[in-house]
Amino acid sequence: MVIDTNRCVGCWTCAVACKEINDEPLGYWWNRVLTTAPNQSTAAKAPASENIDVPYGVYPNVELAYLPVACQQCNDAPCVKVCPVQATFRREDGVVLVDYERCIGCRYCMAACPYGVRIFNWGDGERAPGGVIGYGKDYRVDGRLVFAPVRPKGVVEKCTLCVERIDEGQVPFCVESCPLGARVFGDLNDPSSDVSRLVRDGGAQQLHPELGTDPNVYYLPVARRVAAES
Amino acid sequence: MSTVAVPSRAPRPGSPTPSAGALQKAAHHGVRWWYAVLVAIMAWGLAAWIDELNVGLAATGMRDVVSWGIYIFTFAFFIGLSAGGLIMASSAEVFGIKALKPLSRLGVLSAAACVSVAALMIIPDLGQPFRILNLFVHPNWSSPLVWDILIITVYFVFSVVDLTVLHRHARADAEEGHGTRAARLRTVVRVLAYVGLPTAVLLHSVTAWIFGVQIARAWWNTSLMAPLFVVSAVLSGTALVTLLALLAERFGKVSLPEETRRWLRGFIVVSLFIDLFFVGADYITMLWGNVPSERSALNLVLPGGSWSWLFWLEWIVGGLVPLALLLVPRLRRQQWSLWAAALLAMVGVYAFRIELVVVGFVNPLTQFPPGNALGTYNPSASSFQLVGAYHPTWVEYGIVAGLAGLFAAIVTVGYRRLDVMGTAVGAGPLLGPPPADAASRREPQLPEPGALGASVAS
Ligand code: SF4
Ligand code: SF4
Repeated sequence: MVIDTNRCVGCWTCAVACKEINDEPLGYWWNRVLTTAPNQSTAAKAPASENIDVPYGVYPNVELAYLPVACQQCNDAPCVKVCPVQATFRREDGVVLVDYERCIGCRYCMAACPYGVRIFNWGDGERAPGGVIGYGKDYRVDGRLVFAPVRPKGVVEKCTLCVERIDEGQVPFCVESCPLGARVFGDLNDPSSDVSRLVRDGGAQQLHPELGTDPNVYYLPVARRVAAES
Repeated sequence: MSTVAVPSRAPRPGSPTPSAGALQKAAHHGVRWWYAVLVAIMAWGLAAWIDELNVGLAATGMRDVVSWGIYIFTFAFFIGLSAGGLIMASSAEVFGIKALKPLSRLGVLSAAACVSVAALMIIPDLGQPFRILNLFVHPNWSSPLVWDILIITVYFVFSVVDLTVLHRHARADAEEGHGTRAARLRTVVRVLAYVGLPTAVLLHSVTAWIFGVQIARAWWNTSLMAPLFVVSAVLSGTALVTLLALLAERFGKVSLPEETRRWLRGFIVVSLFIDLFFVGADYITMLWGNVPSERSALNLVLPGGSWSWLFWLEWIVGGLVPLALLLVPRLRRQQWSLWAAALLAMVGVYAFRIELVVVGFVNPLTQFPPGNALGTYNPSASSFQLVGAYHPTWVEYGIVAGLAGLFAAIVTVGYRRLDVMGTAVGAGPLLGPPPADAASRREPQLPEPGALGASVAS
């Protein structure tokens, strides 16, 4: 997947769409949108404030960009390496999934993931009234339970890259819901796909490439400058 | 049961002299009260765990940003105590430190108790404790946690075997003098010490690598982690054995020779120096550069940061103060300086464990708002946190207290049953009948433990 940070306006639609289709309880966010300075994937700049949508810098030299972050689907995923029971595993096509029936809830993967995208079921999650509104049924990969509308308490969950949808040839729901078309989904192994082209020619970059996790999510850097020149 | 053992163990009821009989009865009461207190604490712990099982880990103060808490740092602390106790006990044998040999059985007993408690400490930390067998059914060998479980198991078995052999040897030695059976067991004792030393070092190194290999958290990701863990283990383990030995001296009828005290002091001083040196070297490496993730973590800990109370505990209360107590001649001569220094050194090591685990999580992973989701809903606050916060709940305190109570219970029972301070390996003369002056010094103290028990009973 490639995310174009030039297009992202920080509307959180992808985050809310993700929450709905995956029935994430209150306070759970598999996908979130960080407020950053342009092209700051690592924290070279201290945040201007602890609130979202606050620009960086001092007026009139202010700048602002957004960075939507969900599981980066790492090729060399620390979460897969540390999981003591192989509950977190990487599928052949690169999707990293959690087996809700095997996870022992040690949370080592949460300590190991550099992107802070994993959510633990501390108790029975609170849900808005109205019942299940998302996929609504269990989903298995090789017999392993990788999605359930209500995850049991005591296990870890995270973005599944909508395996239910991509296995049927659809794009993940965040990609479909983004009103600005900032998200592009495709096969990085196919040199002629849009995503491969963006990585090759558009200069798309990974988050924290220095950590060697080799994510399958790339970001197109901000090309324009938002700073007001005096 | 050997007769040599009698002087060192708690008095048995039914002793011939009436005054001694009264004393023993009082002491017996004291022990009963002690057990009652321990059982109460353990019951509290069990109740807290049952509560946690019902509610889920939501009953704890951990959330997604600080996702490991008191269970994990107390686990690491107990593993350290365990490894340190065994390192101290086996170096007595490996390096031929005669003065420490009387403490080897106490060291191994404490090591066995600590590793059991540490292993149990992981269970309440699991979200799905009843799936724990998955660790053995589907082990993932690239996970340091699997290796840690493995070495904990090996180490537990080892310490139990070691304790049994040491006990047998001491008995054989006492019964038949330096006979063939004693000599044979003596060889086993030596071999076990040579196996025990590297096992203990490995135990704490693997525990260190749980944290040290993680690239995600700059605060953990240093090759210094394993050496630092080992030296802090020696420090806290020796300090714990020192405290236990001093308690045995107070409530039992053994006396620690000055030579033994000198070695204990030496172990504590040297390991404390190396410990502070390692921590300081790590700080300097982080301070020199300007790597944001490292500097923001260090700023939390250094004076002025919100976690600086740990810095003071580690460097002053558990660092300079015990060093002064053990090195300044006027203080060193005080009777209380050794136990005070040992206690403070343990406080310092515990502070280091808290600092290691909690600051690793508190330090923001992504330094951009809104930070990480908490995994919990609070109508009056954000569902996100940039800089983490952690306050253990009573459930967590209860479980940790219960397991600490279990440790005290194992040590008390082991001490009374196994006579661990009795004539120890090759050290008969050192722990023989106390010298006259020591005996007279201790005389007035003797009724106190009994008196304490009696006053509580009345
Ligand atoms: S982003 Fe985190 S959870 Fe996702 S694959 Fe990488 S390490 Fe695992
Ligand atoms: S919490 Fe579950 S998925 Fe994560 S490391 Fe532990 S067992 Fe694996």
